[in-house]
Amino acid sequence: MQYQFKWSVLWSGQSAGWLLQGLITTLELSALAWILAVCLGILAGALRTVTFAPLRAAAVFYVEFFRNVPLLVWMFFWYFGVPPLLPRVVQDWLFNHGAEFWAAVIALGVYTGARMSEVIRAGILSIPRTQFEASLAMGLTVGQAYRLIILPIALRLIVPPMTNESLNLLKNSSVALTISVAELTFQTRQVETYTAKAIEALTAGTLIYLVLCLGIATVMSRLERRFAIPGLIARVGAG
Amino acid sequence: MNGQAIEFKRVNKWFGKLHVLRDIDLSIASGEVVVVCGPSGSGKSTLIRCVNVLERIQQGDIVVLGQSVTVPGLNLAKLRTRVGMVFQQFNLFAHMTVLQNIMLAPMRVKRVSRDEAERTARALLERVGIPHRADSYPANLSGGQQQRVAIARALAMQPDVMLFDEPTSALDPEMINEVLEVMTDLARDGMTMMCVTHEMGFARRVAHRVIFMDEGQVIEQSEPEAFFAAPKSDRTKQFLSKILSH
Repeated sequence: MQYQFKWSVLWSGQSAGWLLQGLITTLELSALAWILAVCLGILAGALRTVTFAPLRAAAVFYVEFFRNVPLLVWMFFWYFGVPPLLPRVVQDWLFNHGAEFWAAVIALGVYTGARMSEVIRAGILSIPRTQFEASLAMGLTVGQAYRLIILPIALRLIVPPMTNESLNLLKNSSVALTISVAELTFQTRQVETYTAKAIEALTAGTLIYLVLCLGIATVMSRLERRFAIPGLIARVGAG
Repeated sequence: MNGQAIEFKRVNKWFGKLHVLRDIDLSIASGEVVVVCGPSGSGKSTLIRCVNVLERIQQGDIVVLGQSVTVPGLNLAKLRTRVGMVFQQFNLFAHMTVLQNIMLAPMRVKRVSRDEAERTARALLERVGIPHRADSYPANLSGGQQQRVAIARALAMQPDVMLFDEPTSALDPEMINEVLEVMTDLARDGMTMMCVTHEMGFARRVAHRVIFMDEGQVIEQSEPEAFFAAPKSDRTKQFLSKILSH
C-alpha cells in the first residue's frame, strides 16, 4: 500500500476553516428546513384527519406530490426552476442573498414536511376518536381540540419516528451541494481537492455527521422522556 | 329554568342503510332525571349523542334548552357549553393533570381567570370526593376516580343539562357505587339528567322516568315504580327478566 496518511492536513492551511464553515452552513440549513418541515408536517398531518373533504384532498396532494419525487430533483426545481418565474427585482435580490441556500431550505423543508406529515397523521389516528368527541362536548372548537388536545398528545407519541425523519433531514442536507451550497459535504470535497488527502477529509466529514446525528438522537430521547405522558405507555428500559 | 330542557320531535336517523332512530318523540323537563335503557344496539347511545350533536339527525328536530339543533350555521360550541357529557370511557386528557382537565374548558371557552377556574375545580373535586388527587395524572387514578373527575370536568362549565352515556359500564363492580353516589347527589340538587345506563337500582331510586328503547324506537316509558313492577310491553318484560334475574 502506497498511501501516506497525513492527518495534519485537517488543521493546517484553510481546511479547518472550511470544515467549520461547512458545519455552520449544514446546521443553519438543517435547522431552518426542520422548522419548515415540522410546521408543514403538523398542518398537513392534521388536515388529513379533518372531516371537510377539500382540506383533506389538499393535504393528500401536498404529501403525494412532494414525497414521491427525489430530493435531488426538488433541489434543482427550487434553484433552477422557480427563480426565473419570479419578477426580475426579486430574482436579483435572491441571487445577491444566497439564492441557493434558500432554495435548499425550501426543497429540504417541503420534502421532509411531506414525510413528517404521515408520521403526525399516524400519531393522530392512534388517539381514540372519543378523546376528540370529549373535547368538542365540553365546548371546544375543532381548532381548539386539535391545538390543545389532539396535537399535544400525538406529538408526544411520535417522537421516535420523528427522530428518524430529523436525522434523515440532516443527512439529506448534503444533497444541497449539487446546487453549490457550501455545506459540510461540499467543504469536505473542497478539503479533499486541495490537499489530495481523500481519506482524511472524508473521515473528518463522516465523524462530524456522526456526532451531529448522535447529538440529535440524544436530545430527542431526552425530549421523549421529559414529555412522556404519565402511565400511557410502558417504556421498557427508559430511565 | 322551567319547561322542557330537551325535546325530540319525530327524530329519525340512519347509519347508511341501518335505521337507528325511528320517529322518536320525547320530552325531558327541566330538573327531570331520565334513565334510558334497552338492549345493545337499540339506539340509546345514539339518541343521547344527538342531543349535543356528536351525531347528526337526518329527519325531525331536537330542541335543546330552547335551541333547535338543526338550524343551519348553529354555534355548536356554544350549545355544548350548556350541555355536559360523561362518557363510558371517561376520556380524561392523559397529558394533563386532574386539575388541568377540569380547568381547561372554563378557561379556554368561557375565558374565566386561572384563579377562578382553579377555585371552581378544587371545589368540584371536593364535591366528587377526591380533592387529594388534584395534581395526579389520569393514568394514576382508578376507573371510579377517573369517572368522578370526568363528572367534575363536565360540571365546571355549569351546564343546564347533563348527559351520561353508560358512565359505569367500564368500571369494576366495586367502583360503580362511588360514581352512582355522585350522580345521585347531582340529581338531588335538581340537575336535569339524561342517563343511558343499565344500573336499574339507580333508575329505581333516582330517576323520575325510565325509558325503554329497542330497535331505534321508544317502546315504553313510565315512572320507575310502574316500569319495574308492571311493564306493559313484552319486549320490556323480556329485557327486564334478562338483566334483573341475577
